[in-house]
Amino acid sequence: MRKAEKISVVKEFPYPHVVVKDFLDESTLDLVIDALAGLEYDFKESDLFSYWASVELTDIDHPAINILRDDLGDEIWRKKVAEAFSSKPLSSIDMAAYVYGLGDFLLPHDDQVEERIIAYSLHLTPEITEEMGGSLQIFDIEENNSSQLVDSVIPEYNSLIMFEVSKHSWHQVGEILQDIQRLTVTGWYHG
Amino acid sequence: MVDINFYYLEDATISNLNRIFNSADIPFIRLSKFLNESPDIIEPELNFEEKIGYYNRKIGNALLDNFWKSSDFRVFLSKATGLKPKFRKSNHISYSPGDYSLLHMDESETNRLLVVYDLTKEWKHEWGGYDLYTSPDKDPLVCNRDFGSLMIVKLNSGDLSCTRYVSLKAQYSANIDCITYDL
Repeated sequence: MRKAEKISVVKEFPYPHVVVKDFLDESTLDLVIDALAGLEYDFKESDLFSYWASVELTDIDHPAINILRDDLGDEIWRKKVAEAFSSKPLSSIDMAAYVYGLGDFLLPHDDQVEERIIAYSLHLTPEITEEMGGSLQIFDIEENNSSQLVDSVIPEYNSLIMFEVSKHSWHQVGEILQDIQRLTVTGWYHG
Repeated sequence: MVDINFYYLEDATISNLNRIFNSADIPFIRLSKFLNESPDIIEPELNFEEKIGYYNRKIGNALLDNFWKSSDFRVFLSKATGLKPKFRKSNHISYSPGDYSLLHMDESETNRLLVVYDLTKEWKHEWGGYDLYTSPDKDPLVCNRDFGSLMIVKLNSGDLSCTRYVSLKAQYSANIDCITYDL
């Protein structure tokens, strides 16, 4: 079950984003990680990224995944997310699991696809540190398309990061620098 | 002035290069030890260049700018490819750890001949930094870094190229002279 019931103040710079710590309770967390460990992951690679991805989790019928889907996407939570971001009502979510291993990365992009309102990522790697890589790096963009790294969010265990998707929402996942598996459940809230 | 390795100027070699170039899925040849002597590597003056989501790198004048414009090289290029390339631009490009370019950066490009001369020393494949060329319905072409090699690739409108993200673990930069000829 969801442990977090509040969303703290959303940071507005350079675009609205927030980290919710201790998102799931311990027992749900264990069940979810066990369920994710049992999935198949395909290696995906392009000029933009390198990682392992699961199938879309939205349609999987698995007790732990069903709970997770509710915790991230039930009406009560969606309403809280919409209120925190002052967004229009959120109707649905999609979700998939991603594993980044040594050398994997996701280069800067803005996530903009029609109907995506809020992006989220639930981090599920215990004891991850900044030196291991894999931080979510947030950029402020100048008019000439140059960037400034203004925030680097360490993907702490059981933390949920959310940000508003817009033409400003440039971000990347830093290269993994040690032999770890950075596991996340990631997706978007749709309008 | 640098000179082309005499081996590549022999008629039999030129004939072979022409055949290989024009029979490749994406027309391409790679010529190792292309020059008789390695050029003196004087670090050219480079400027940081970024368009987020497109590229992040340093760029300046080509190290061998005069050579890429020379009639010797243009004659060789024409014979080796069977094309009539017209010089457009040449640059020295340096990709440091964390740098990259993405495929869509040249999506508005027309037919062109790309020439890349590799000035990267002591490179490991796992550092990335290799060149990638794609063409619709064809297998992508990957060109690893190899000091002293010349790569010639013909790209049509809709074909794309990029240099793969360079790992933060790379101990050096990937350095190339990159020359574009219009077709």
